[in-house]
Amino acid sequence: MQELFQLVVSGLAQGGIFASLALALVLIYNAMGLVNFAQGEMAMFATFIAFTLISRGVSYWIAFPVTLVLAFGGGVAIQRLVIRPVERAPVLTLVIITLGMATLINGLAGVLFGYLPRAFDSPFPPSSVGLFGVYIGYQDLGVIGMSGLVLLAVYLLLQHTTVGLTMRAAAHHPEASRLLGVSVSWMLALGWGLAAAVGAVSGIMVAPVLLLEPNMMQTTIIYAFAAAVLGGIESPLGAVVGGLMVGVTVNLAGVYLPFVGGDLQLAVALAIIVAVLVIKPNGLFGRASGRRV
Amino acid sequence: MTALLELEGVHAGYGPTSVLHGVSLEVPEGGAVSLLGANGAGKTTTLRAITGGVHWSGDIRFGGRSLHRMSTEQIVRRGIAHVPEGRGICTELTVDENLKLGAHRRHNDAELRKDYDRVFAYFPVLKERRRLSASTLSGGEQQMLAVARALLMKPRLMLLDEPSLGLAPMVVRAIFEIIRTINRENRVAVLLVEQNARIALELSSHAYVLEVGRVAVEGESGALQGNESVRRSYLGY
Repeated sequence: MQELFQLVVSGLAQGGIFASLALALVLIYNAMGLVNFAQGEMAMFATFIAFTLISRGVSYWIAFPVTLVLAFGGGVAIQRLVIRPVERAPVLTLVIITLGMATLINGLAGVLFGYLPRAFDSPFPPSSVGLFGVYIGYQDLGVIGMSGLVLLAVYLLLQHTTVGLTMRAAAHHPEASRLLGVSVSWMLALGWGLAAAVGAVSGIMVAPVLLLEPNMMQTTIIYAFAAAVLGGIESPLGAVVGGLMVGVTVNLAGVYLPFVGGDLQLAVALAIIVAVLVIKPNGLFGRASGRRV
Repeated sequence: MTALLELEGVHAGYGPTSVLHGVSLEVPEGGAVSLLGANGAGKTTTLRAITGGVHWSGDIRFGGRSLHRMSTEQIVRRGIAHVPEGRGICTELTVDENLKLGAHRRHNDAELRKDYDRVFAYFPVLKERRRLSASTLSGGEQQMLAVARALLMKPRLMLLDEPSLGLAPMVVRAIFEIIRTINRENRVAVLLVEQNARIALELSSHAYVLEVGRVAVEGESGALQGNESVRRSYLGY
């Protein structure tokens, strides 16, 4: 029982990381009906920026917000320079472009920072705290707390500010929003910026666990896809719930299903994707949708 | 007095298909003008040209300034509220959020509160349903929401695309009564596109009839109403 509880908590910590990246995917999917395959690489690159700042002596707690701001700017820049010129292209073209960006960013990180895995120090102490008879690592608690804060911030921004309202309107009803004076194109750019920042959080959170190198996010992005699909790819809330569920499931499966172990955890995520698409393609929180043509 | 909105020899269309072949019309400051004609005559395209939704040539001036090469949001921010065909309601959002979208560029809170009071006085049903999803509203209520939202933009000119479409006659009458009030009391100019010529001519003081992308007839609304041959051949009643 105790072990189960501990696995659930560390699963939630992992899930918070998946949730952040899944939310980033959902933000862009909502804005333009596109799955951004470069999201993981963007997060990895942002993590390298944080790493560079920290290794130059900047405190973690300053490097973290500075990186998010830079990632936001990077996301906006990508939308303005790369995506906007091809905005009206078929979605498949856009998908190929994001795949190309993923390769490009990956290679760029390799050239700039090298392929040597680096230890990324966690700001949280390695010890653990006893709560109700179970031991929970400060690392897990910290990750849960940080992802929770970020997700809360995004929620408040989208649901309770004017900018958030215009972003949501621009995503679902671009034509009508334009007629109300909303600059839809800039709302898309904000969406990309926000997604890049939220994604960067997942990279910075996962780096102490995985070691930082250009391919760091390539498994995490699969878990994030699973989370987004499970939650319903259009639902920000779904991304969060999906992320936590995938985190816990994968963690439990790794221990309680002997044939899964540590090696087949990724296969569990892929199985979740397939199962959701077969059984409930709109996910847990997705609306049954008519296709926009 | 110069007109608030002037179209001069406007050609417009979608890709290779041209729809408007030199449309000229005027809406005076605070005026009410109808744009009538059969399906496919170019009424909706005319409105879309004004707010930059289609490519056009010729000239469109608003408050004396050409709208050439301006984006839709720039044009709208100059004071044109366009209630499009199908009303343009954001059905994912609540009634309140839709209204807030209309008001999202307003910064004078006291003035805005007055406008909200006015809107809710016109359409009390919207106040009752503020917190509900806009998708739960009936067609008539959605049209009311669209007009209310347009009013919160504090426009100098309102473009209305078939506000009567698909609504029961009683609802249509109620909505037109409010549009008349908005026009008279708030001095908002109105350019009204309608299939229902009878009710449009009652509201407007001047009217244009489009036929295959050209102005076929224009005149005082009263004169058009009284002219039986115009009524028969163009207005269908």
